Amino acid sequence: MKQNKINRILNKIPLHAITIFIMIIWIVPTLGLLITSFRPVSLINTTGWWTFLSTDQEDTTLFTIENYVDALVGYRGTRTYLQDCESGDQPVSLNCDLSDLLNPRGMGRAFVNSLLVTIPSTIIPILFAAFAGYAFAWLDFKGRYFLFAILVGLQVVPLQMTLVPILRVYAKLGMNGTFWGVWLFHTGFGMPYAIYLLRNYLGSLPKDLFESAYLDGASHWSAFWKLAIPLSTPAIASLAIFQFLWVWNDLLVALVFLGGTKPVMTYQISNMVSSLGAGWHILTAAAFLSMLLPMIIFFALQRFFVRGMLAGAVKG
Amino acid sequence: MRKNILLLISLLLVISVGLSACGGETEEVTEEVSEEVTEEVTNELGIDCMGAEAGDEVSILSQWSGTEEENLNAILAPLADACGIVFNLESTRDQALLDTRVQAGTPPDITFWNVTQLSQYEDLLVAMTDLGVNTDNYADYWKDIGTVNGKWLGLPVKADPKTLIWYSPANFEAAGYMVPTTWAELDALVEQMVADGYVPWSLGMESEDATGWTGTDFIQDILLVTQGPDYVSGIIDGSIPYNDPGVKEAYEIYGKWAMSETYTVGGAAGTVSIGFNDAILKVFSDPPEAMMVKQSGFAGGTITGTYADLVYGTDFDFFGVPEAQGLQGGSDWMMSFSDSAAVKALVAYLSSDVGGEKWAEVGFDLTPNMAGADAYTDAALLKKGQILSSATGFVPDIGDSIPSGFGSAEFTGITDYVNGGDLDAILDSLAEKQAEALE
Amino acid sequence: MAKPKVSAVMKQGKLTPWLYLLPALIVMGFFIVYPMINTVSLSLKNKDGTASAATTCKEGEPCWGIFENYRYALTEELNTTTFETTWQSFWESSYGNTLKWIVFMVSGTVILGLLIAVLSDRVRYESLAKAIIFMPMAISFVGAGVIWKFIYDFGTSQVQIGLLNAIITGLGGKPISFLSTTTLNTFMLIFVGIWMWTGFCMTILSSALKAVPEELQEAARIDGANEFQIFFKIMMPIIMPTVVVVITTMVINVLKLFDIVYVMTGGNYNTEVIATRMYTEMYKNFQTGRGTAIAVVLILAIIPFIFMNIRRFMAQEAMR
Repeated sequence: MKQNKINRILNKIPLHAITIFIMIIWIVPTLGLLITSFRPVSLINTTGWWTFLSTDQEDTTLFTIENYVDALVGYRGTRTYLQDCESGDQPVSLNCDLSDLLNPRGMGRAFVNSLLVTIPSTIIPILFAAFAGYAFAWLDFKGRYFLFAILVGLQVVPLQMTLVPILRVYAKLGMNGTFWGVWLFHTGFGMPYAIYLLRNYLGSLPKDLFESAYLDGASHWSAFWKLAIPLSTPAIASLAIFQFLWVWNDLLVALVFLGGTKPVMTYQISNMVSSLGAGWHILTAAAFLSMLLPMIIFFALQRFFVRGMLAGAVKG
Repeated sequence: MRKNILLLISLLLVISVGLSACGGETEEVTEEVSEEVTEEVTNELGIDCMGAEAGDEVSILSQWSGTEEENLNAILAPLADACGIVFNLESTRDQALLDTRVQAGTPPDITFWNVTQLSQYEDLLVAMTDLGVNTDNYADYWKDIGTVNGKWLGLPVKADPKTLIWYSPANFEAAGYMVPTTWAELDALVEQMVADGYVPWSLGMESEDATGWTGTDFIQDILLVTQGPDYVSGIIDGSIPYNDPGVKEAYEIYGKWAMSETYTVGGAAGTVSIGFNDAILKVFSDPPEAMMVKQSGFAGGTITGTYADLVYGTDFDFFGVPEAQGLQGGSDWMMSFSDSAAVKALVAYLSSDVGGEKWAEVGFDLTPNMAGADAYTDAALLKKGQILSSATGFVPDIGDSIPSGFGSAEFTGITDYVNGGDLDAILDSLAEKQAEALE
Repeated sequence: MAKPKVSAVMKQGKLTPWLYLLPALIVMGFFIVYPMINTVSLSLKNKDGTASAATTCKEGEPCWGIFENYRYALTEELNTTTFETTWQSFWESSYGNTLKWIVFMVSGTVILGLLIAVLSDRVRYESLAKAIIFMPMAISFVGAGVIWKFIYDFGTSQVQIGLLNAIITGLGGKPISFLSTTTLNTFMLIFVGIWMWTGFCMTILSSALKAVPEELQEAARIDGANEFQIFFKIMMPIIMPTVVVVITTMVINVLKLFDIVYVMTGGNYNTEVIATRMYTEMYKNFQTGRGTAIAVVLILAIIPFIFMNIRRFMAQEAMR
């Protein structure tokens, strides 16, 4: 017994060592950004971020939250928001009170817009793809393989190629600059991959499950809602995360179809920097703020990646 | 449990759709409010609204974001207050967005972009003369550059001379250097600096996908010294091929400095990978890594952005590239796809005396509008403004003026050259590109 | 290959499958098929889309008529004077670079993703580990560009703000300009790509691994198999369909990959890949015909791969 225990511990060491090593390599770059976002601008340009615990320069603090404050209110002057408010010469659009959090140039308003763009753009494609994936996996019809091959192949069309023709049609239909325009575009563009993933997952579910359901008198419709969807939660959860991320971090599609008058977070972030690159210390804070929600979603959906989803569902 | 999740999802969907619909309504409400307010503001500055009504909207696409956007807002504020025009500003540095909008038939009303776009969108732009522009405030050479096939399509709104060399007067004084007034003196100064153990130049040109532009700017300035502005104009219109011996000579002068560690920070590798902003800062760090950097007017802002305590005049200053016959500069142009009344009001405003003075007062680089020549509040801008107004010629950047991607090819070309490429082959292929682009 | 029939137990109406497919077909038809047709037609025209591509032929040079843009797309980067120059120029061309990306990034992300999926399953801090590996995906490309600037930055003798060069100079070496040294730079970019996308592979592979019934593994353990054998002989075969899905998807993603190269080097210093080349032709050189031709080449390059995939599906179906 003791030999077994020692064996198990020894077995565990390389496991932990490798895992932790990879984790460190992965997190170092992001850590660099996080630390930088808390440093004042004079230190960022002149010293490496790993020296953040000390500095030779006098008259400067080691840490500051001013980058975050600037990002939240969308400050675009040459010093910092707090400094300007103290001396009274803040830019025309800022009021130096709490209402600045809702400044159209700040992250607050953009956060709401990003949500309005991303949530439907995630839900609708998953719904459509689930229907289609089920059809390809469990319904019989002529040409299912051929059609499936084409659909999967559509994944490769590059994004930039689709913008002009679609914008033209939108303009004629008056859908330019509307939310529906963006939702439908993301749906269309996200479909090939979504169908591919869901069909694959649905196809790997055991045949006996469905057969026994039909023998009990279920129709395809109820089999779809009662069996297929609940059982494919890991795949749906994966898909939700990726589609959410893709839409949340997208800039070009939002700019083309929605426009800068309804700014999303990515637009605000790219606007923090002048065309010559000045002001990118605010960018570090803004990039972090933008990352918070996707990470929360990732954690929230982790519970669907649960072991043994099918345990006990299969007879014998 | 599952049912609850489905319920939650449907709820989220419904709420999103609802909110986005409501979002439209609130925008209308705020517009009405601003209408009422602006009607009360009197038009003290005598701005001509050209028939525009309060609440008219103008959509603007530009490359300016961050602090630049603030500047633009400040400049447009008097017009917005006087006439009640609403400006919807969007900004991007991605050419793809502008092209997509134009090709799809939904261009912005106005765009502030580069000179090449005047030829690219020639058929779609409305001539300035049809938009109520005030022609007296612009020198002829500006009107020439903005004219395509006889129509004045672009209004120059912002200029930034590039033919400047930035240095630290404090460091010069300490080492006993004088500002050179001829090219020969500049050359001698460089050699003197090397002999004294300093690195004379900081030539970093990294700039993501536009890496190389500080190099091509320098080449063009050298050409202005060795050959003159007519030669440069000849390259732009194609009468002088890019692989002309004069151009090769300029590249070799540049290469001697850019590829060697004795003459520039980091040698060839440094030139190619040090960012252009970092390159500026290296002359003013403590201790300095170099003595001079040739850069456009914006460098002043970069310096104070990082070293807030440096004072213009004592700690940092510039001199024009000695013996340069004419000025090279970056310029931003306003072009219009629409001829609405509000657009006319904008054109009239920017080209008027009031507009010119406002631009200079805000200090958004130099304004080609001659009415603004004395209105600069910033000492550095004033000096640059004087250089601009006394210039006999203004030559736009070669890469900005030759269409069809010549600019990017030029950047790649000089980067390859500094990285060790064969100069003749590079110049030959650029000459080909030039011919192709201009046919 | 005989197409397997779905079990006769599951009855359905004739229209049913089409009703299920309808929303997807409509949306994809408009948003993807229509632009693709538009793209192909533009690739056969000149740079403004106003005349056939055959009009852009130059005298005295080879010309492919209406496929002139394709000639440009396929041969412009190659120096075909001798076999050696062709070989050399191929590897420096966008095609060669893309090939490097495919081989290294796909294998890197899939292998690492699988590794993490397996390892994290067995440690208590599983959520934390997976979150850390996944985090780069949550960072937009704008943020990633800034992050890696702090790693790869090339300072000079006095000051380093890039981590790698700080380590190198700390150990006494000279700083390396990572992003402008040909060949090395492509691999540094590929590393960024792996850093960003491993989380993707990990998420999908992890969910597949967890679907493997516990009982099978327990039974094998009781029979005396060690962990490696369990992994390779039991779990891998079961998750193989998912692994194939992941590999295919990654190949497609890599072929379309644009942002990393564009943001970090702009395609300079021989880092150009097919997607950035397409962008350059479209929006820098304003050559619509050539840009769309490159896009079509890209699409055609993937099709054999998809084909292989579908055949695998059919083989798998036959076993159901």
